[in-house]
Amino acid sequence: MPTSLAILPRRRQPATPLQRTLGVGLVFGVIGVYLAAVGLLPMLNKRSVIVDTIGLGDATMIAIGLGAGAMAARHAHTRGGATLHGLLAGAVAGAMAAALAVVMQLVSLQSIFIQLSPALFTMLTLGLGLAGGAAVLIGGGAAAGLAGALLRDSPPGGRRIVLAGLGTVVVAGVFQELIQLVLQNAGALTTSASEFFYTWEGLSQQGAAAIFVIAAIIAGLNAMVQRRAAGRVAASERRVRLRRLLRAGILLLLLVCFPLLAGSYIGQVLMLVGLYILMGMGLNLEVGLAGLLDLGFVAFFAVGAYTTALLTADSAHALAALSYWEAMPIAVLLSICVGVIFGIPVLGVRGDYLAVATMGLGEIVRVIVTSDFAAPLLGGAQGVLQIPKPRIGATVLATPVALFYLTLAASAVAAYVAWRLENSRLGRAWMALRDDEDVAQALGVNLIRSKLLAYGLGAAFAGLGGSIFAVMLSSVYPSSFQLLISINVLALIIVGGMGSLPGVVVGSLALIGLPELLREFGEYRYLFYGAVLVIMMRLKPEGLWPSEVRRRELHAGDEAEALDAGADLLPAGQHASSAAE
Amino acid sequence: MALLEIDDIHVFYDKIEALKGVSMSVEEGRIVTLVGGNGAGKSTTLRAVSGLLHPRQGAIRYAGETLGQYGAHEIAAMGLVQVPEGRRIFGRLTVNENLEMGAFTQKNRQQIAEDRERMLTLFPRLRERLRQVAGTLSGGEQQMVATARAMMARPRALLMDEPSMGLSPMMVEQVFETIRTINAQGVTVLLVEQNALLALSIADTGYVMESGRIVLSGSGPELLDDERVRRAYLG
Ligand SMILES: Nc1ncnc2c1ncn2[C@@H]1O[C@H](COP(=O)(O)OP(=O)(O)O)[C@@H](O)[C@H]1O
Ligand SMILES: [Mg+2]
Repeated sequence: MPTSLAILPRRRQPATPLQRTLGVGLVFGVIGVYLAAVGLLPMLNKRSVIVDTIGLGDATMIAIGLGAGAMAARHAHTRGGATLHGLLAGAVAGAMAAALAVVMQLVSLQSIFIQLSPALFTMLTLGLGLAGGAAVLIGGGAAAGLAGALLRDSPPGGRRIVLAGLGTVVVAGVFQELIQLVLQNAGALTTSASEFFYTWEGLSQQGAAAIFVIAAIIAGLNAMVQRRAAGRVAASERRVRLRRLLRAGILLLLLVCFPLLAGSYIGQVLMLVGLYILMGMGLNLEVGLAGLLDLGFVAFFAVGAYTTALLTADSAHALAALSYWEAMPIAVLLSICVGVIFGIPVLGVRGDYLAVATMGLGEIVRVIVTSDFAAPLLGGAQGVLQIPKPRIGATVLATPVALFYLTLAASAVAAYVAWRLENSRLGRAWMALRDDEDVAQALGVNLIRSKLLAYGLGAAFAGLGGSIFAVMLSSVYPSSFQLLISINVLALIIVGGMGSLPGVVVGSLALIGLPELLREFGEYRYLFYGAVLVIMMRLKPEGLWPSEVRRRELHAGDEAEALDAGADLLPAGQHASSAAE
Repeated sequence: MALLEIDDIHVFYDKIEALKGVSMSVEEGRIVTLVGGNGAGKSTTLRAVSGLLHPRQGAIRYAGETLGQYGAHEIAAMGLVQVPEGRRIFGRLTVNENLEMGAFTQKNRQQIAEDRERMLTLFPRLRERLRQVAGTLSGGEQQMVATARAMMARPRALLMDEPSMGLSPMMVEQVFETIRTINAQGVTVLLVEQNALLALSIADTGYVMESGRIVLSGSGPELLDDERVRRAYLG
């Protein structure tokens, strides 16, 4: 903290390596104690990674030990020092957990911290009693810390292999229900595979070992292939693009086949993901390309949903009895109109102010829908009910899986449109506006038209999503259209990678799909969600699948340094000032 | 009649009157410079001409038309193109993408490609750096990008705001050399500068601005010899 340093007469002595290691151990220990005290660890343990062996809570504790060891090893200079520091940090973290157990034994804190239950005590001590449990905790912590330090110091190839193996086992164990379901639906061969890896309750020990080995081998081969490729010439631009296309293709194929095998619950989850993908692509045009931070985005979603409802529902509020296929284009068109109208009052607003202004507009839409004034038309808080499912010929798209395919088709069309827009003149105009409004105008970009089109076209995507949302629920209520939806959409495009189409898909899967699969953890899901957001922004601020431009922007610093090192026409003093401009 | 006529314009930032009745005339094919100290109102004048600000009073006429009714993007399309103060290139786009952005008003792909080629001949340094992210260029190279970007719009008149700002003396010379070349190709230049000595020495006509008013005008050599100009700007 520069301010406090300025006040202090002297700088504090830098911490010794030992102090640092103890500090790391304490921090990780505190994290563990905290997770235990809020009840997350026992809760996580309800899901097992390997049946009757390791629960997700146990795995988390081990991960904390590994993390402490790896972190502590950073400060050591020698190999031996690193292992020693790792060991120590892990032991300290373990000792903190042991201390918690001791405290729980001595005083009953459960009246204050309701989660400090006997069950937690048993989990911490592994049912071995206090002395035995404490010894195991400290010893186990030390072992995990040692492993973490060794992993950190091992060559990247080896590290990647081990981490890939461990990661795959955890995923295979945690999502065992889903994976088993898919395997058993897919055919006879995969059914027997499923029986090999899994018992009825989850991942078996032999299954875990097999999966670890398989994943490690695949990771090893992959690393080898990559190293050989790097050994040759640097991959050409076309090759890179081809590989990206391939990755996107595989992802898409999985997405298409998956719900058929996984059944209606997954269908429903994926459909929700699809709706967020639609909205994400829309908001991506506004925020990612045009740089218009919009927190009122949910309003367009609402317009699409209500329009569809009012035009098709079998209810007193209905204005017409159109079929879904007639209503949907109208819903999209109306959303565009609302988007453009929405954009007019905020045309001159920039940056942070725009976020607040659009949030206000979004709330206005919601308040209007709930108001008594609009109730006769829109149904007020009771909403509009009995929206028929869309039908194709004689088939009714009634099941979640069928509706998922509708969402998928809509997303595909929308993705194509978004992609074309991105590379169009309008897309370039948006990018110019985002970077510098004045310069963009001075180069001939029509500010008003481009901005209104951004709102209008962004709204079209959300309106399409809303339209599907209405038939998915068969009813619409004003309470469905909360500010939180806008925030979620914004978060997913940030996590996925601002301005990147594949990023929208990845972001939706990570932020919308994953939490749905963790439903049994209830409110703790949001703890996870929040932690992921914070960690992401620290470690990978450009997003999971960033766009080219965004990647450049966040790594421009590295390149600039490399260039500065080279010769330049400017004398040293002036160079710094011109770079700062 | 002159290509660009600024007729007694008053420009306000809210209540502050930044231009208090400015009149200038820019003949086609010439280099006209507007010099003056920091905060005199030079950039404000250019922003008013570009349509980014609108005069509360007075008129700007360009090629026989009054600009008041046009938006900034329309004025750009009419051939009045600004190279803004501080360059303001698109820092995370590549040099090539910056040039393409400059050709936003142009529709003919073939002609755009030719223009780009001309720019790369004018600024050979940019050719080596076409795929480089523009934000990582040196100040002098960024000025080249900003100028080339504006030229891609095929301007009839180029409005340059302090192109020499923050550059090394060698770079500054090169910038002024470029201005001369561009002008020789038939582009009218309105050059705003704090570096009065250099600006006046390449200009056909000069205007001196102080606190929102034109206080002196004349041919370049005349102003260079003027006692008041020497005292105020040339030290
Ligand atoms: N955006 C603005 N808002 C308010 N005042 C401004 C703004 N830009 C410039 N000014 C004021 O207008 C006057 C002229 O500024 P400017 O045209 O930038 O001067 P110059 O380019 O000659 O240095 C100055 O007094 C400056 O403070
Ligand atoms: Mg200025």
